Amino acid sequence: MALTEHVVMRELDIPGIGDFDIYRQHGGWDAYCVAVKEQTPAAVVAVVKEAGLRGRGGAGFPTGVKWGFLPKGVYPRYLLCNCDESEPGTFNNHQIIDNNPHQLVEGVAISAYAVEANTAYIYMRGEFAAAARTLEAAIARAYAEGLLGKNILGSGYDLDIHVHRGAGAYICGEETALMESLEGKIGQPRLKPPFPAVAGLYGKPTIINNVETLTNVPMILQKGVAWYRQFGTEKSPGTKCFSLSGHVNRPGNYEIPFGLPLRELIYSPEYGGGMRDNRPVKIIIPGGASAPWLTGDKLDVTLDYEALAGAGTMLGSGAVIVLNDTVQAPHLAYKMDEFFKHESCGKCTPCREGTHWLVKTLHRMTEEGHAYAEDIPTLHSIYGQMAGNCFCLLGESAVMPIKSALRLFPQEFEQLVTQNGNGQHNGKHPIALESVR
Amino acid sequence: MRYASPRSAVLPLLFIAQDHYGHLTSEAIREVADILQLPATDVFEVVGFYTLFYDKPVGTWMLQVCDDVPCCYLGAEELIAALKETLGIQEEQTTPDGVFTLQRVKCLAACNRAPVLQANLDYVYDVTADRVDSLIRDLRARADEAQQRGRSGRQAADFGIAADGELYTTTVSGSPVVTAARGCCTSTSNP
Ligand SMILES: Cc1cc2nc3c(=O)[nH]c(=O)nc-3n(C[C@H](O)[C@H](O)[C@H](O)COP(=O)(O)O)c2cc1C
Ligand code: SF4
Ligand code: FES
Repeated sequence: MALTEHVVMRELDIPGIGDFDIYRQHGGWDAYCVAVKEQTPAAVVAVVKEAGLRGRGGAGFPTGVKWGFLPKGVYPRYLLCNCDESEPGTFNNHQIIDNNPHQLVEGVAISAYAVEANTAYIYMRGEFAAAARTLEAAIARAYAEGLLGKNILGSGYDLDIHVHRGAGAYICGEETALMESLEGKIGQPRLKPPFPAVAGLYGKPTIINNVETLTNVPMILQKGVAWYRQFGTEKSPGTKCFSLSGHVNRPGNYEIPFGLPLRELIYSPEYGGGMRDNRPVKIIIPGGASAPWLTGDKLDVTLDYEALAGAGTMLGSGAVIVLNDTVQAPHLAYKMDEFFKHESCGKCTPCREGTHWLVKTLHRMTEEGHAYAEDIPTLHSIYGQMAGNCFCLLGESAVMPIKSALRLFPQEFEQLVTQNGNGQHNGKHPIALESVR
Repeated sequence: MRYASPRSAVLPLLFIAQDHYGHLTSEAIREVADILQLPATDVFEVVGFYTLFYDKPVGTWMLQVCDDVPCCYLGAEELIAALKETLGIQEEQTTPDGVFTLQRVKCLAACNRAPVLQANLDYVYDVTADRVDSLIRDLRARADEAQQRGRSGRQAADFGIAADGELYTTTVSGSPVVTAARGCCTSTSNP
């Protein structure tokens, strides 16, 4: 059953919530006003911890616990909102900003108060030009209403929120690369430790959270822990906005409680509405590009952190890409690794060279149609040399598509080898390798 | 101050320079380096790293088509083929009249509306191959507008530099531009 009340996608409950006045009429900014005037930052952290909110940016790390890592008495501190959203299949941050921007801004404001930051940045992928305007307008309104700026509501608390646009680079979603980028450098990850909570932006204690994570915060404070925990499971409380895409009839963002079976997300008329042309599900990538694949016989797995981990994959960013039997596994591995090659920052050799050779080999095998028997052990060897040796998780993630494809569909690689010399397999002109930068 | 370190203004300044000059010429990059008192090589490096900075001339409309998963299985290749055919160019090329440059890009965070492209960072959703002719006609008719607006998806007038050298966005620190801002899913170029 679809939710009758949403935590994040509240435009479904309250039409026009993107308008400041309508947001305000429905209790928007109330939780923030109460927090700033009556609650200590530590009290706000305690509520978020108790609610069990887990980071939606990929790792699912408990948000309140992360906030607790800040070293005592060290200032200034920064809050960063991660809106780099560039992983194939993720698009819920985009919709949150289009439809419910004030709740995000309030979430940033409350969270900044909780971690005692006087400056917050919302780092957005450069392509979100229009979304940046939307947020800037929402922020401007909050200033005009006295909710941001100096000595807010007479409390003595100061807060500035700035929108900062990136300029096209998936790696800038990685938290330390994002900080480098915000400092005006190329977006290459930093060595950890020190972790951002200790030394982050400009070397200061910094908390970084995803857009969806922060958009949860106002509702947790407004409606309380018990209300929030009515959704989801004990270990994965709340709801999650899954971005469903691929060969389903109704691709889109669906906010559902954690724990719904994958089958329901794909087939329920309220969500995916089944597969296009009734073709069978062949491959599901359940948590963004870095998640190991599932095959079409695994539809009973439930969508929560624990169950997906149990099925050998991960919930990750909550991007569920569903593909039918027209997709060839080697080709999907090629396209996914082409993404990682394109986005590799070039800092470390295993990732820079590994993704290059994976793509070169897979392109020849799938697009050009020339595959040789030794390609298969070569592919195993390339990802084997990458795994565990990359500087950051981007390189480690690039291992997943090819490893999944070889493990789940070995016969499709062998078939490519038997077709060797066929010239133009699957009847199309190859996409030139050089056409993709 | 918006940033604790002036260097943080490098991306916003490069966007402004790019909108002003059409692309990032070497002089423009040095100008940004001068403003921020950075070694020019640092700014050249930044320009090279990020895909939305163009160090060569590009068309009035930069067409960036998503060819990532899942778009590539939902008509993106057919869309790119149709664009190449209609415009008579390949990827990374510009039409002889200087109006269009075509590029493949990775996921644009709108996979539910595949196939997707951006024209100077305005989204065009559900752009199946059969919509290419009307899209190109529409964009061509709006080339003057695009010329004035720049390649970076917003007006240079959105930014200002205060007397103390601080960079600000007019929407926040100046007179707020609250109207006409909401709803990137209803982008004007979506006919
Ligand atoms: C290559 C890479 C890209 C990432 N991209 C994003 C992103 O676009 N958005 C995001 O919120 N987190 C992204 N992350 C995760 C962030 O590093 C970070 O863990 C997250 O923003 C923390 O927020 P959360 O605690 O709310 O989940 C990425 C991580 C890696 C390794
Ligand atoms: S793993 Fe890839 S993205 Fe990460 S630091 Fe190395 S080269 Fe850069
Ligand atoms: S794959 Fe094209 S927008 Fe995401």
